[in-house]
Amino acid sequence: MKSMDTTVVICCAGMGTRLGIGTTKSLVSINDKPIIYYLINNLKEYDDIRIVVGFQAQQLIDTVTRYRKDITFVFNHDYKNTKQGESLSKALVGTRKYILVIEGDVLINNNHFNSLKKIESEFIAYTERKSQEGIPVMIDDELIKKFNVEDSKYEWSGISYIEKSKITKADIYLYEMLDCLLPLRGVKVESIGIDTPSDYDKAVNWAITNIRNL
Amino acid sequence: MSTYVFLFDLDSTITKEEILPKIAEAINKKDEMRELTEKAMVGDIPFKNSFLKRVEVLKEISIEEAKKIVASVELNSEIVKFIKKNKKRCYVVTGNLDVWIELLMKKIGVDKSHIYCSKAETENGYLKQVISVADKELITKQFVQPIVSVGDGDNDSGMAKNSEIAIGYGGVRRIANSLIQNIDFAFYDEKKCAKFLEKLL
Repeated sequence: MKSMDTTVVICCAGMGTRLGIGTTKSLVSINDKPIIYYLINNLKEYDDIRIVVGFQAQQLIDTVTRYRKDITFVFNHDYKNTKQGESLSKALVGTRKYILVIEGDVLINNNHFNSLKKIESEFIAYTERKSQEGIPVMIDDELIKKFNVEDSKYEWSGISYIEKSKITKADIYLYEMLDCLLPLRGVKVESIGIDTPSDYDKAVNWAITNIRNL
Repeated sequence: MSTYVFLFDLDSTITKEEILPKIAEAINKKDEMRELTEKAMVGDIPFKNSFLKRVEVLKEISIEEAKKIVASVELNSEIVKFIKKNKKRCYVVTGNLDVWIELLMKKIGVDKSHIYCSKAETENGYLKQVISVADKELITKQFVQPIVSVGDGDNDSGMAKNSEIAIGYGGVRRIANSLIQNIDFAFYDEKKCAKFLEKLL
């Protein structure tokens, strides 16, 4: 993922209602820092970062600009009625060859993220299944063949690296957008998403062993 | 190449500091001015009322002196560079007065036909009265080509609503709440903002 070829899009517009704490998920605090801090901290060498905001847009902007100012904020005002596909579509204006799209509630192991940076072609990152809310994936010969399969040990991590020209603008879930591009290279990472209160407790413990500079 | 025309607010978008408080400084009325400006920018009082009040405070300064002060305010150089490079497609849409911004506009290289602003009558080198206050929503409705607008204040919301791509620039002051509700993109770094504008050409 060379910086000059890559636009990073972090989707943070949603309300995170399943988590039930009234805060957009990227602002949820894990060991005293918001999730968005960990995401940005991993992206120091990238200079085209776009964060899609909606619910609590101003709070999110205030938080992010404390850490880094050269961010493009993209607004999805209709966040209540739309999915991440709509957010991603809005962010695509003037982007580069590849889009690294990341869901705003994902924590990823630092070393694993650094390994992803060395990959120069499309991939979908997957992780061991941790939550009932995750999107299970079928892996075969290091390829992601299918989403939403039953009995899989693995789930989509919420991180994908895709050529911009292949993205169809539509108001659907991100995995639905990726679905028509399968099979795609799958890369296993250690990551965790936060959808429910029980995910949150897991994530706090997970972060202690997987994230540097807590 | 796109067909966009680019519309820029002046205060705190093209300039790095606010213009009216800067003029007020010369006649020791900065605090009074700051309070009125603040209320207008966040939308506590209508822009037109606030602007007329602010002009009243600044009437005692000569036009020549005011012009010079305005032309000396610090600018967002990357945004100015974009405007200079793309003169034909760039317009300044500001509530500020024609007689005060004249020199600054020359300095930036914006032709008279590319300026939409408030207008005033002068007498013996001093401001006599304001003739019209620019309404950005009405002004932008007149454009035929699709608009990319850049602004930061409450009075930029109407312009944002009429834009194909509305950008908030928060590098100088916080983007007004009402404008945040109407923009597609926000920038807090002028280089980043100028680079994005380049991609829209």
